Amino acid sequence: MILPVGPIHPGLKEPLRLKLKTQGEKVLSAEIDYGYVHRGIERIMEGKTWQKAIYLSERVCGICSYIHTQTFAETFEKIAGEQAPLRAQYLRVLTNELDRIQSHFIANSTYFKALEHETLFMYMLSLREPIMDAIELLTGNRVNMGWNVVGGVRMDAKETHLQQIKEIILKLESGYDKYVEMFEQGPLVGLRSHDVGKMSREQAIKARAVGPIGRASGISYDFREDHPTYRDHLDFNVIWRKEGDNFARTMNRFDEVPESIKLIKQVIDNIPSGDVRKKIDIPAGYGEWSNEAPRGEVRYMIESNGNLIRKASIRTPSIMNIDACAKYMLKDVATVADAVATYASVDPCIACAERVVIIDESGQERNFDGIHNIQLE
Amino acid sequence: MLNAVKDVIRKSSIHVCLINTGGCNGCDIEVVALLSPRYDLEQYGIYVHNNPREADVILITGAVSEQWRDKLIRIYNKAPQPKIVVALGNCPLTGDVFNQEGCSVYAPVSDFIPVDAEVSGCPPRPSEILAAILAVGPDAIAAKGRQK
Repeated sequence: MILPVGPIHPGLKEPLRLKLKTQGEKVLSAEIDYGYVHRGIERIMEGKTWQKAIYLSERVCGICSYIHTQTFAETFEKIAGEQAPLRAQYLRVLTNELDRIQSHFIANSTYFKALEHETLFMYMLSLREPIMDAIELLTGNRVNMGWNVVGGVRMDAKETHLQQIKEIILKLESGYDKYVEMFEQGPLVGLRSHDVGKMSREQAIKARAVGPIGRASGISYDFREDHPTYRDHLDFNVIWRKEGDNFARTMNRFDEVPESIKLIKQVIDNIPSGDVRKKIDIPAGYGEWSNEAPRGEVRYMIESNGNLIRKASIRTPSIMNIDACAKYMLKDVATVADAVATYASVDPCIACAERVVIIDESGQERNFDGIHNIQLE
Repeated sequence: MLNAVKDVIRKSSIHVCLINTGGCNGCDIEVVALLSPRYDLEQYGIYVHNNPREADVILITGAVSEQWRDKLIRIYNKAPQPKIVVALGNCPLTGDVFNQEGCSVYAPVSDFIPVDAEVSGCPPRPSEILAAILAVGPDAIAAKGRQK
């Protein structure tokens, strides 16, 4: 029997249709329908200046809205062959890590909600609120911050605000282990999480899984390792696990939060003084840039004619992860409830994932990541 | 007498159905933040689930994308009377940044279904969303129920 879930369903936070092929309670396989929130952002970006397009890039996704503007700005900086001032780079790292912490909390809370574990769901949301306060303190907004510009960040951060953010972070760190232990040692949550929705390393590579989902299956790679600011000035560990089940994915996100806290402390202690913004003249050209969003690699490919954007293409992590979920994780899941929990453990973000998927006549599915779209002169 | 009892019941238990019709997810996240202990939506008798068949309040976040043009009306018709529709954020009101040449959104949402309340902002703060639902929710639902 085919069991449709969605697009509006109590188990889903965003519109998406899951078609579960079931036999009794067992889920044999799954299919996914996208397209409910397709807005045509890449098309609207064409013919716009960066000052207008950066607002569009922010609204690709509301949860990880920050990293999209940073990647957009850094793509233009790559085209111009320049870098933002060092203080701006540090402030970008600070905001990025705060954003990562809140995104991981909301991802884990969604997973616990799917397991019907209301206590941890509420704990995760209450841990998230102080982080939102810190983001608001720094940038002035909670969700869509409008914080990045090409060549730096929009305004400087006050020293008192940085100290307040540090206090918030230290408070989070002091009581954090309790919540991780609740999940790690909890017998009932463990029963629902261990060995459910397994994906091996080979499968993860085939499905091009990225971010915490890929890292939970043993792909020990983080795009922050290649980012100039992180590589040259900051120190952090890449968290990865081997199991590849729901437990590993959730624990991977839990364990990345202390690393982000470590980075935030380094940034606030060592932030250099100076300008936060410089004027960059953008030549005509083509640039690509990748960053590690909370969900994995986000890549921007932009061709500019010096003033206007000629072609923009965005590759977001969610579509690969949701693909991996449908192809490999939702195979032979014991119950329908476990299937919904597995889907939630992938941290799906549908607003990100509305990219073009082309299915050719042979029935082979290919994700065009956009490079083919751009014809260089 | 019966109406008075119905009023009390309708005012004290409000079920909310959240529909993202093509937005950036930011408003949905702010609604999830409302569930957190800081705002605690459920202390007002408001329960957020995504089931249109039980909904009193339909929260619309997002401009209307191609797929939603017919489905939105169908979902609206599935919700039982009395029901109110709250358009949340700039997208359902004007289409926000997406409503430009070359887009595939069909804002505003009031072209498709009647909208009772509008909250602007991109996204509105959780406290504003809460204030809007509380300001319009209980009384409007009770009043609409009496009309029938």
